[in-house]
Amino acid sequence: MNMKRIYLCDDSIDGIFTAIYLAWNSKYGHSNIKIEEKSDGSKYSNIEMFSEYIAVDTDYSLAKKVSSSIKNKISDEAYEMVYRVALSDNCGKADLIYRFLILGFSVGSKITQHLSNDVVNNVFRINKNVNNEAHHLFGFIRFSEQENGLLTSIIHPQNNVLTLITPHFADRLPQESFLIYDENRKIAAFHVPGNPWILAEIPEIDRDNMKKISFGEDEYRDLWKAFYNHIAIKERINPKLQRSNLPLRFRRDMTEFK
Amino acid sequence: MVIQENMTVQRKLEILSDAAKYDVACTSSGVDRKGKGTGMGNSLACGICHSFSADGRCISLLKVLYTNECIFDCKYCINRSSNDIVRASFTPQEISDLTMEFYRRNYIEGLFLSSGILISPNHTMELILEALRILREVHHFNGYIHCKAIPGADPVLIEMLGWYTDRMSVNLELPTADSLKDLAPHKSRKNILKPIRQIQLGRKNNRELLGLPDFKKQPQKLIMNNQEDKDIKEIITTNSGLVPCQKKTAANRVFVPAGQSTQMIIGATKESDYQIMSVAEALYNHFDLKRVFYSAFMNVNQDSRLPSTESGPPLLREHRLYQADWLLRFYGFQTMELLDENHPNFNVLLDPKCDWALRHLEKYPIEVNRADYNTLLRVPGIGTNSAQRIIMARKSAVLDFKDLKRMGIVLKRAVYFITCNGRMMYPVNIEENFITRQLIALKDQPPLGIDKDITYRQLSLFDDVNFQPDLRFNTKFANI
Repeated sequence: MNMKRIYLCDDSIDGIFTAIYLAWNSKYGHSNIKIEEKSDGSKYSNIEMFSEYIAVDTDYSLAKKVSSSIKNKISDEAYEMVYRVALSDNCGKADLIYRFLILGFSVGSKITQHLSNDVVNNVFRINKNVNNEAHHLFGFIRFSEQENGLLTSIIHPQNNVLTLITPHFADRLPQESFLIYDENRKIAAFHVPGNPWILAEIPEIDRDNMKKISFGEDEYRDLWKAFYNHIAIKERINPKLQRSNLPLRFRRDMTEFK
Repeated sequence: MVIQENMTVQRKLEILSDAAKYDVACTSSGVDRKGKGTGMGNSLACGICHSFSADGRCISLLKVLYTNECIFDCKYCINRSSNDIVRASFTPQEISDLTMEFYRRNYIEGLFLSSGILISPNHTMELILEALRILREVHHFNGYIHCKAIPGADPVLIEMLGWYTDRMSVNLELPTADSLKDLAPHKSRKNILKPIRQIQLGRKNNRELLGLPDFKKQPQKLIMNNQEDKDIKEIITTNSGLVPCQKKTAANRVFVPAGQSTQMIIGATKESDYQIMSVAEALYNHFDLKRVFYSAFMNVNQDSRLPSTESGPPLLREHRLYQADWLLRFYGFQTMELLDENHPNFNVLLDPKCDWALRHLEKYPIEVNRADYNTLLRVPGIGTNSAQRIIMARKSAVLDFKDLKRMGIVLKRAVYFITCNGRMMYPVNIEENFITRQLIALKDQPPLGIDKDITYRQLSLFDDVNFQPDLRFNTKFANI
């Protein structure tokens, strides 16, 4: 029996794709290989015995090769699904993507129909979960206006959905400068009118600076809260329904619940 | 009447959102529109919910009345002219400022403007038009706007409004002309149906002009149920005199792109579910409505001539109507299949689809690996999404129960109605009483939060409540 090889890669789509390229290219046999994304303390995974760990340095040119062959040999839809799975916070997503691509490269574009397959079904499910969170945030994000007119928002999403939601806001608010900060991952998306939006790592956000809100901001927050409280019908109060529609984890970042 | 001068915007917003909350619709769906790179706003066809209020309803749009002053005296309405309440009116500028600032902060998806009737329908419509004009032409607001057309307003004004809005609605208020006459003496059913017809024809003309595919492919079913609705019949044969002008506006806009909706109050008058659903079906078939909303009646005025709602509004009935409404729109059902003169109301304990399936057990079980889409849709526990997934997945594999479970089919309900590879999951006695008991025992039937007002009682063979009931009887009934 061959010793199992575990490719340890960065927790990013490029990191995962690099590892997949190397694993595939090694011709070591898919069943002898596992790909693991590096995770921080909270999602600790046990080190496996009798396995050889290989650290993978992200190589964008290799990752690019993988992504273009997914688009050419499987489909754009499959690429988008894999992309969203890579953004999820699921443990073991790198290996799941690897298994999915093994199937995909042999079946082709019809792979997304194989819902009764365990791997495909998991990809489908995680993909839906990430999509749902992104869609929720389309609505639940709240912007505050700073003194200088910049709109800011701090979010704490489960999955790394910033790249999925920012295009929507860039399209919606073309003449506004805005910043969406994912505090869980310390990354921010930034948009200035007339320019494409950018993604940046911000290890520490200046909270005092964020508190410098514009003159009208407080007034509109109060107006919104007033509207929010008055639109509910007392005879129909239904916290269970409210909670299932608007999970508690989103509320910490929403104006009307502060 | 209390008239206050110099009210703050905050106070106005409180009064006018309070007054608007009984309107059900708050959807922002039906239009896909990219941002224009200028101004502000875009729109997604699936709609976006921005928050959920304490009653669990979605907040998508800034739902306010332009004014709660009203010359009409509809008995069910909190804003009727005979009520002594604080009255307030926005100005067009205030409406547009609020909308823009809320939209920028991503509080809302757009504006839903309704109104009481100030001075006259035409006067009110002109004020609303001005508010929308400022939004669309001064601020270049490109987000979603839903607006009520005021019945009795000039068709020219309705037409102008149609070019600014995404969705329009005219409330039918009550299912039949008689009830309307009783409760809303100033409104007439014809006055309500006319603008609906006008908007329908306007949309049709505009779509033809733009070369958009006709929104309704299948030939219109001209089935009218036993109760002939004279008003509907009369209005749908009217084609002329309703559309005054169809000029194209300078801006490249579509006429009411997200279609129109309407709303009916449920439980204020004595109509049966059958009558209500027949009206809804007629509206879908003949007026091309996108949605019919049902609003559980609340006796907000404590009016003794109307039914009391002290024990809460009829939420379960409203829920059943929505379920049936879904069956009409997405599942290929017709009202006649769900209800008839002998069963004019929905089952309290079972949803309409389960109820239908139980009355047609001769059609079951069906084979999941072969049944067509429409047959799959009629299985309790299989929705539109799961039916599509089944069709997709069975192209590459023969499906088994564990596959179905993984794909999100609600097996605990579907299991009585399906086979996989010719086998049921476990031997099931296909017998109405047995399956009914099993399905009712699932307890997931009353939806979230409205289960509290259902109390179960063992059914006894005897009227004497002191008689010890036979515990073998599992059938329960609710006293709603």
